[in-house]
Amino acid sequence: MGNVVHPSARSVAATSSVRARKLADGVATVILWAMASSIIVMLAAFIVYMVYLGWSALTPSFIFGMPKQTTAGGGIGPEIYNSFYILMLTLIFTVPIAVAAGVYIQEYALPGMFRNVVQFSAESLATIPSVVMGLFGLLVFVYLFHWQFTALGGALTLTLLNLPALMRVTQEALASVPDTMREASMGLGGTKWQAITRVVLPSAIGRLTTGVVLIAGRIFGETAALIFTAGLSVPFNHPYDLNPFRPAETLAVHLWYTHSESIVPDVDQIGNGSALVLLIMVLVFNVAARVLGRRLTTHFTGRSS
Amino acid sequence: MIDAAQPATASTAADKIVARDVDVFYGSFQAIKNASLSMKAEHVTALIGPSGCGKSTFLRALDRMHDLTPGARVEGTILLDGEDIYSPEADPVVIRHRIGMVFQRANPFPKTIYENVIYGPRIHGERNRAKLDEIAERALRQAALWDEVKDRLHRSALDLSGGQQQRMCIARAVALSPEVILMDEPASALDPIATSKIEDLIGQLTEHFTVVIVTHSMQQAARISDFTAFFHLGEIVEVGPTNQIFTHPREKRTEDYITGRFG
Repeated sequence: MGNVVHPSARSVAATSSVRARKLADGVATVILWAMASSIIVMLAAFIVYMVYLGWSALTPSFIFGMPKQTTAGGGIGPEIYNSFYILMLTLIFTVPIAVAAGVYIQEYALPGMFRNVVQFSAESLATIPSVVMGLFGLLVFVYLFHWQFTALGGALTLTLLNLPALMRVTQEALASVPDTMREASMGLGGTKWQAITRVVLPSAIGRLTTGVVLIAGRIFGETAALIFTAGLSVPFNHPYDLNPFRPAETLAVHLWYTHSESIVPDVDQIGNGSALVLLIMVLVFNVAARVLGRRLTTHFTGRSS
Repeated sequence: MIDAAQPATASTAADKIVARDVDVFYGSFQAIKNASLSMKAEHVTALIGPSGCGKSTFLRALDRMHDLTPGARVEGTILLDGEDIYSPEADPVVIRHRIGMVFQRANPFPKTIYENVIYGPRIHGERNRAKLDEIAERALRQAALWDEVKDRLHRSALDLSGGQQQRMCIARAVALSPEVILMDEPASALDPIATSKIEDLIGQLTEHFTVVIVTHSMQQAARISDFTAFFHLGEIVEVGPTNQIFTHPREKRTEDYITGRFG
């Protein structure tokens, strides 16, 4: 206590010690602001550079056209389609399993062996590199099941890859709903299932949507797991096919392929254009999913945010 | 020992809920010891006592709200209209339909006011829209909230003030047409004006319902209740008509508490 320097009892003006502390406060504020701003600058610089490089490539024949094997002027139409197609297939498998498992672990499972094993399995799955998962998909779906390279095999591999993350997101979204909500429902004679379906999940829908958007971004950008499972080609006579048992090269895989394996002369042009389109797709999906999430939240809760 | 089971006065009202020799345990800790209490139909019974005396624990036992608390165990007998609510045939969902609960902190669902109020009837199977509208209006009128919210039934309940939220929670319990409403310090988080609205409301509710209310405010117990039970260290020390408890307590501990010597 004796070390504290008290300001003069007769003055309200800052002493040198107060001035020094205020200076430290000001410097810290500026540094923290600069760090935060650098994130915006990096993103902006990245987007501007991508647009600068890829803009000239964005012609209708590029966006909607068929890829070419050996000559210049190939398009990426089927690849864009495949990216969305595999995304949808993957979400159809991932969302129900991950949400159901997350609900079970968070709301039903008592602490014990089974819950620990499920948690441990999910965490182990989450640490497997995607290229290893791709090789697993190759062994199982391509060789063991004799499917060859298929959209379905790719989607199932991506499901394995993304299940743990979405299950984790579900658990956290449910944990964020206060227990007073469950208690209120129970106090009105509701069963556990009614509390979950009518109160807990609707309250968690915003966070769940955010989780789905995050894994969707990863699915759009995934290459290693798909190279071995969904393949590097598109069926030329029917590229916009709903049949899941056919090769389905996505845009991200195409980007990797053109840069590393392809022999077409306009590699850079196609690469830059594909990268920009991929970026736009992720942004569009992000915005769309957030709008949907907000709509759902408003629908269930009667107000936005 | 204390003979709390003995009815305090010869009241003509029927017993709605009778608790006999109730013990509640949390693991090895005994929170309620040998509590016996009769709660009269269409009257207000107040449970008072210092913090940690077990009054909320006792209240929650009346609605089987301890069922899902890991490690909690209720022993003894609790009769609702003469039927044991802890017997193997008794279904907690049915019990909680007949006994509504209002919690210490208003806990509106993040839904519209309308959806909140009809939540109970809806989960019990009522689908008719006109019927639900009618239930909502009646419940909100009974909770003295209708005039304040009738123009914004389809707005979020979270936008209501704290006092309005608590009255809406009362409306939500009332909408079930329960026989008993349990209230766990329903006004403790509210300002004096909102509190007096809730208190007025409780007086009106006894026209249709049996009310059991936990309160830490002796003034509140004195104002609104017909019977009062004084809890201390997990036991019911004394129970009787409210004015008798507050003017002529028989037990020394009751007198010490209501005169402010501890608590």
